[in-house]
Amino acid sequence: MKQTAESIRDRFMKLGVDVPVEDIESRLDELIKKFKVPSNEAQRSVTNYFLKKYSIPKNEFYVRQAEPQLTKIVNISENGQWANLKAKVVQLWENTHESISQVGLLGDETGIIKFTIWKNAELPPLEQGESYLLRSVVVGEYNDRFQVQVNKNSSIEKLSEPVEVGGGDFTPVAREAELKNIADLTGNQWATVRGKVVQLWENSHESIEQTGLIGDETGVIKFTNWASSELPDMEEGKSYMLKNIVVSEWNGKAQVQLNKSSSIEPLDEDIEVRTSVFTYFGAMVDIQTGSGLIKRCPECKRALVKGACAEHGKVKGEYDLRIKAVLDSGASTQDALINRELTEELAGISLDSAIAMAADALDPGVVLDKLKHELVGRYYTVTGHKLDRYILVESITPRASLDRELLDEMAAELEVE
Amino acid sequence: MAFFREAARRVFAQELKDSNLTSKDESDQYAPQYLLTPTGAKVNRIFIVGTLIEKEDIGTDSEYWRGRVSDPTGSFLIYAGQYQPEAAQFLAECELPAFVAVIGKTSTYTTDDGNVLTSIRPETIQQVDELTRNLWVLDTAKQTLERIRAIETQEDSNSKLAKEHYSTDTEVYREMVKKALESLKENA
Repeated sequence: MKQTAESIRDRFMKLGVDVPVEDIESRLDELIKKFKVPSNEAQRSVTNYFLKKYSIPKNEFYVRQAEPQLTKIVNISENGQWANLKAKVVQLWENTHESISQVGLLGDETGIIKFTIWKNAELPPLEQGESYLLRSVVVGEYNDRFQVQVNKNSSIEKLSEPVEVGGGDFTPVAREAELKNIADLTGNQWATVRGKVVQLWENSHESIEQTGLIGDETGVIKFTNWASSELPDMEEGKSYMLKNIVVSEWNGKAQVQLNKSSSIEPLDEDIEVRTSVFTYFGAMVDIQTGSGLIKRCPECKRALVKGACAEHGKVKGEYDLRIKAVLDSGASTQDALINRELTEELAGISLDSAIAMAADALDPGVVLDKLKHELVGRYYTVTGHKLDRYILVESITPRASLDRELLDEMAAELEVE
Repeated sequence: MAFFREAARRVFAQELKDSNLTSKDESDQYAPQYLLTPTGAKVNRIFIVGTLIEKEDIGTDSEYWRGRVSDPTGSFLIYAGQYQPEAAQFLAECELPAFVAVIGKTSTYTTDDGNVLTSIRPETIQQVDELTRNLWVLDTAKQTLERIRAIETQEDSNSKLAKEHYSTDTEVYREMVKKALESLKENA
């Protein structure tokens, strides 16, 4: 007890206040012995008593305590844990939410961790590459990963001596994602892929730079290159290495996104894309609404609904013909998108004659009726790339004759004369 | 749960006529109704191609059309009223006989003496050509034969249930498929 009293006295001495050690000791003694207060609680209570008595602000006293207990990033292990970190700002990310002031990665010699500074922390912004002492940050957990949150109880102090980040100089390139086969990509991971741009699509949104399909020897996947990535455009039919792209899942299908941390390198080789061309045989059992003579937005090529584009509002539409068909094998169904050229060929109707038909009847519905009349109930083989639940039809062939082989085989089994 | 479209099953008229086992999830009024056929086809939607041989407006206040579509093994009854306007219009306007393709849902009706009558409520009827009719016969023969083999090996739950309920004599249905194939041979 004497020792405890001495240490309290020492701390007050540092602030220039000489508290008689006997006073401290007697107070401690009373709390611990008489009132059965645990020693550390007693210590704190006594300290607070003298702080009050000598009008010393509490935070001044506590801040001036010896070096705070520092946590190394690798030792962060508990959700809700408080920590003090000495770390370097390795990367600052694009801010995604108005309540967030900054988000990015912190690193020390043991590892890196994501950090978030909330706007209401009211702290000055951190600079990338600078090192800081961050006090009283809170450890949180998201998607099985730890991160630290800097809130209004935290404080940040810039350090003049830089913190070494584990494994030498940390840059995003040094942390390049693993090269993967397109067929192996699954949601919520970073990856690097090499592939050929199979198709580029009409761009439907201003925040998207490019979107389409990229393929390698194992498969084809949808990609989106966001405008904010500031990456160069890719060309259809050329092969590229896409580094550090994000794989996400939508409607159960994996797709990849290129962002600021990604890179695109053109390749000299011509990657052979596994012809993941899909073939389906079945009867056309339905042609869905939105088929026939439609109008598209001149800006983004989306089909208009009641003369309006979802993105660009009321626009003067451009006529187009298409079919959203349902094929049915008896065991499964397959949605198929048939473009204007194939629709014209299949139904023996040109876009111009379809427009004339609709004008004549004052109803574009007559074109849909005509398509149904010509096509529904018949057997077709379609081929094309698969996208979500659709086949983007590249060829469609009506079944023109009976499968003799199948007929003979069954006839033999059933002993048909 | 993602929306999924019922596949249109391929069943000959004779087999559909023999069917009387319906299943419906009682706890969910929106659950689809299925008809289990003697070879174990679990039918909600059906696709048939045959010859429209009869049609009659049997409605009293508004039009209600009954059509009879034959295949090599028997005939299907189809009913279309105000809730199937396209199909009703087709039946009103078409000339007999005609090859037609029908996509629709099966429905059943139990008579006072306990017989179950099966019919089809068409979603779509279209006039088609003879080739399409022959393609359908071959397609339906193939799928029926596959189900018959499954009954014989009892390989899935629908086969087991069908066998249990109907005591399916697969020879009868092999004979039916044979009849259907013979009609193709005649045409050939």
